[in-house]
Amino acid sequence: MTAAIEELRESLHPKIREALDKRGFDEFSEIQMRAVPKLIRGDNAILIAPTGTGKTESALLPIFHRMLTEPHPPGFTTLYITPLRSLNRDMMNRLEWWGKELGLRISVRHGDTTQNDRRKQATHPPDLLITTPESLQAMMMGKVLRKHLAGVRFIVIDEIHELAGSKRGAQLCVGLERIMELSGEVQRIGISATVGNPDVIGQFLCGKRPYTIVQVPVAKTLDLTVRFAGESFADQTKLIEKCIDSHTSTLVFTNTRSVAEAIGHALRERGDIDVHHGSLSREMRVDAEDRFRAGLTRGMISTSSMELGIDIGQIDHVVQFNSPREVARLIQRTGRAGHQLHATSKGTVLATGFDDCIESMVIVRKAMENEPENVRPHINASDVIANQIAALAVERGEIAIKKIEEIFSRSYCFADAGPLIREVIAQMEKHYLIRTESDMVITKARARRYLSQNLSMIADEKKSVVFDVVSRKPVGTLDESFVISWISSGAVFVARGQMWRVLDIDEDRIMVEPAKNAKGELPSWEGEQIPVPFTVAMEAGQLRRLHNFDGYHADERTVMFSEKILAEMKKNRSIVATDKVIVLEDADEGVVINLCGGHKVNEALGRVLSILLSARYGTAVGIETNAYRILLRLPKFLRAPDVDEVLCSLEPEHIEAILTLALKKTALYKWKLVQVAKKFGAIDADADYEKISINRLLDLFDGTVIEKEAFRELFFSNMDVEHARLVVQMIRDHGMETATSRLSIIGAEGLFTGRDVIVPPGEDQAIIASVKHRIDEQDIILACMHCKNWKSRTKVGRAPDTPQCPVCGARLIAVLKPYDEKMYLAMKKKNKSTEEREAEARMIRNANMVLSSGKKAIIALAGRGVGPEAAARILNTFATGDAFYREILKAERKFVQTHRFWSD
Amino acid sequence: MNPEFYPAGPAVLIERNVRTLVIADPHFGVEADLHRRGLHFQSGTASRLSRLLTIIEESDPDYLVVLGDLKHMIPYVTYQEKNEVPIVLKKIREKTEFRLAPGNHDTGLEKYLLKDELLPVNGAVIDGCGYMHGHTIPASELAGKLILCGHHHPVVNIYDEVGCSLRGTPGYLLAEIDNAAVDLPETPAATRVLLVPAFYELAGGMDVRLIPGNKISPLAKAIRTDTAEVFLKDGTYVDTWEDLTPDPEDT
Repeated sequence: MTAAIEELRESLHPKIREALDKRGFDEFSEIQMRAVPKLIRGDNAILIAPTGTGKTESALLPIFHRMLTEPHPPGFTTLYITPLRSLNRDMMNRLEWWGKELGLRISVRHGDTTQNDRRKQATHPPDLLITTPESLQAMMMGKVLRKHLAGVRFIVIDEIHELAGSKRGAQLCVGLERIMELSGEVQRIGISATVGNPDVIGQFLCGKRPYTIVQVPVAKTLDLTVRFAGESFADQTKLIEKCIDSHTSTLVFTNTRSVAEAIGHALRERGDIDVHHGSLSREMRVDAEDRFRAGLTRGMISTSSMELGIDIGQIDHVVQFNSPREVARLIQRTGRAGHQLHATSKGTVLATGFDDCIESMVIVRKAMENEPENVRPHINASDVIANQIAALAVERGEIAIKKIEEIFSRSYCFADAGPLIREVIAQMEKHYLIRTESDMVITKARARRYLSQNLSMIADEKKSVVFDVVSRKPVGTLDESFVISWISSGAVFVARGQMWRVLDIDEDRIMVEPAKNAKGELPSWEGEQIPVPFTVAMEAGQLRRLHNFDGYHADERTVMFSEKILAEMKKNRSIVATDKVIVLEDADEGVVINLCGGHKVNEALGRVLSILLSARYGTAVGIETNAYRILLRLPKFLRAPDVDEVLCSLEPEHIEAILTLALKKTALYKWKLVQVAKKFGAIDADADYEKISINRLLDLFDGTVIEKEAFRELFFSNMDVEHARLVVQMIRDHGMETATSRLSIIGAEGLFTGRDVIVPPGEDQAIIASVKHRIDEQDIILACMHCKNWKSRTKVGRAPDTPQCPVCGARLIAVLKPYDEKMYLAMKKKNKSTEEREAEARMIRNANMVLSSGKKAIIALAGRGVGPEAAARILNTFATGDAFYREILKAERKFVQTHRFWSD
Repeated sequence: MNPEFYPAGPAVLIERNVRTLVIADPHFGVEADLHRRGLHFQSGTASRLSRLLTIIEESDPDYLVVLGDLKHMIPYVTYQEKNEVPIVLKKIREKTEFRLAPGNHDTGLEKYLLKDELLPVNGAVIDGCGYMHGHTIPASELAGKLILCGHHHPVVNIYDEVGCSLRGTPGYLLAEIDNAAVDLPETPAATRVLLVPAFYELAGGMDVRLIPGNKISPLAKAIRTDTAEVFLKDGTYVDTWEDLTPDPEDT
């Protein structure tokens, strides 16, 4: 035992030393050596170290020490907060022993806790309470529990990186300050995975208070490889089996539940693998964990459910199936292997296609060189403000606005919320959640019920199961706000990369069938989507350009496969989109824009382009995006050069404004708006939306702080405006070139990750487009007024620009309505009635107009009730394009408002 | 007669011997019901009323005819309605004569109305046109007339090659009806209905494609689709009902 270790042991309470001896701990890990002295001293701290190196103990040993040595008031002395119930349970199992040895009472409180246990916690508060951020919110609603919270001296937040980037985290930030109101200042400790910006995590935990960061880098212990797993699913599962067979225990991560299920299904016969994901029942998951821990299974196929630190014993090897999409995610997942003090973590990424191979290489390089993404906390999320103001109002009955402002200003996420807080209060008042009286916020009868329905900022709303009646299988689940804003009988939507038509909706099931023909507005639902960041996608573009795969940790087969695709592109004379080239390709369905921008940039630019195209051409535009391409579904007459022209004329500073306009009518925006409105108390969790136009109801939020928050969140979470602007700037500065071409093999690689239809921004364009269509389809008769011997029935759309009589060769052609046919036949008569003579004059006038104005006259004369006089007026305006049709509409409206039309 | 369309309502003015401004289904006081359903919004009565008063000023009618559902809650009168409806009626009366063709939501409203203001449930003829809410069979005197009615909340969806380019915009449906289907005597001139869109801006609305034949009312069932035509709230002629571009999923 070295002197340093001995010294550290000596600094701990004798009971802890005894317990360490009992456990046979004669060594401390690096993180423990470095963290314990600082924490005993009372520092606030962020602890960052690889999984399985005793991070939990490094935080808790010093806290135990202080709990045993320092006097403290009654109540919960320590709060241990984790993001997940399963982590709570795992932590409880690990800490139970310590509690017994040290004579400390330890207990768990979360959604699954029984009434009996809750009561016990209220009457005899445990010394250490393990809980979730949401249960903490619930606890602050109760008088007795608030008393116990007043005794808190230490707060540990485990897996804090998971919380810091979400609204849950922003809520927790305020929650901590609310505890301070009860307990006074306490010691704060955050345990985090590797992130790019540990300082932000520190500020997130502590606000403006001092803190230290104790970091042991993960990257030096990683050993990562990319392997191409083949293009068929059979090849892919074979390789997974090989990986499982060559190690004692393997954890296989997939990006979605459906893929986890599919692999699990394919390997089920082996009998030594299990599947683990969030949709499985708790019993099944715990069972799988137990079997793996006991060595009964060798492989566990899982989603992010296994990512966090649940202890499942020794793991030799982590397999990531498909690109992990984010560097931090790969580091975290691989960190699960080598669960002991000094071992390295061995991981393999199995890539399945061209995009997947290149992207995996980039992410592996970044992971090995320790370049994880930054965590970005939500700053000034106003729905969190509303939620916590309601909580404070319920907690205290009434509270001064000044006090509210002070509490928020101490937290990192709302330090400069300023006037926003009063704006939020005013909005909440409009929805009758609270009222104000001379600078006090006062609770209302509804507020307590609101709060119990809105303890959580997770959009963990009621889920509706989507059930495919054709295959008789569930397809997945949809969030309620998505359902109410978009789903009705007959509606078509996209989920799991497929289109579904709604047949029926009952209590909690949506019955669907696969949609064949779908064109309508297609909102998409991809709940499990993990976006590829801009930096990763751009480096993938660079790799496509440079073909230099050194330093990317890929096996030979992966490199060969990637080279093969690039060689084939060259052979086909296709242009490869890179970090310096955008390629627009004509496909059957529309135009594919190959842009290595990542999901959020492509989503942003795709929407900007579609709104501009739909505005210019009055058509709806379908859009699908992924990290490397955007597909715009367009009418046949719009091709790549048209899109290129719009793309090249974009101004970087207009992007955000155009996007705001573009998003307003989308399913995504409305879904967010409903979520935010719920947090403001405008819409109850169980509201009844029948018989009401939810779309028009949402218009009531125009210009409000609720609308602002929906946009803020969209720009924060779904669109990367900053980098989209950068791309546009690069196009202008020629740092990025554009090219047009026919569809290439890279352009044709899978799309279908996000899908939507952008509608024209004004009603005007939609109406004009529909009128154009109606007039094009209008039956007309072209009739020669010279020889009076030729007539031909056709549609306006098919009529020639300058019609000519095939009998006499004259260009004096009248355009008549089908009901004029009889009258035309009368034109050949020698002796005409007065009525017939008038008709002849009208027809000649008509034909003269066609002679001088051609197709434009044909179109104008085809309008409903548009005679020669009205047509002449239209043509005299010399309007063209949409303005021309607008004139026709005007003339038709006039006709509708005249006696002739309503004749009675 | 000449109609004049006021898209801001939507409202339509019918001019023959007198000028009659027509709106349908304003549902004043709906917010109390929304509140019960978990949607918490401030009363929209003031803004709805001012929209109506502006149109009355612009169109300067001799009469305002409301085609039913002036109030919202069935089967009683809410606190909100007790407070607001008298004010609404007073403001309207200050501007113009007023008639109500009572709708299924107008329960308990009688006591707020003056003697001549309430029309019969089955409709009445004013200045040559029929007016009724539209949830009942029309009175026989309406046979052979143009009947304006509410109740159906008609909206138009416009589809193009790629998708739905305009969803749920208020519109009018004009059509002849089969007299026998609504127990009307045969008449030389066809009886026609003009379904007026709801003035109430949060109305869910029914796609005009789905109204004919629908069980929502006897009139809807009696519509002769080969004569039906569709207009937008500003009078823009969209198409005949039969030639409307169908919902792509229905083809």
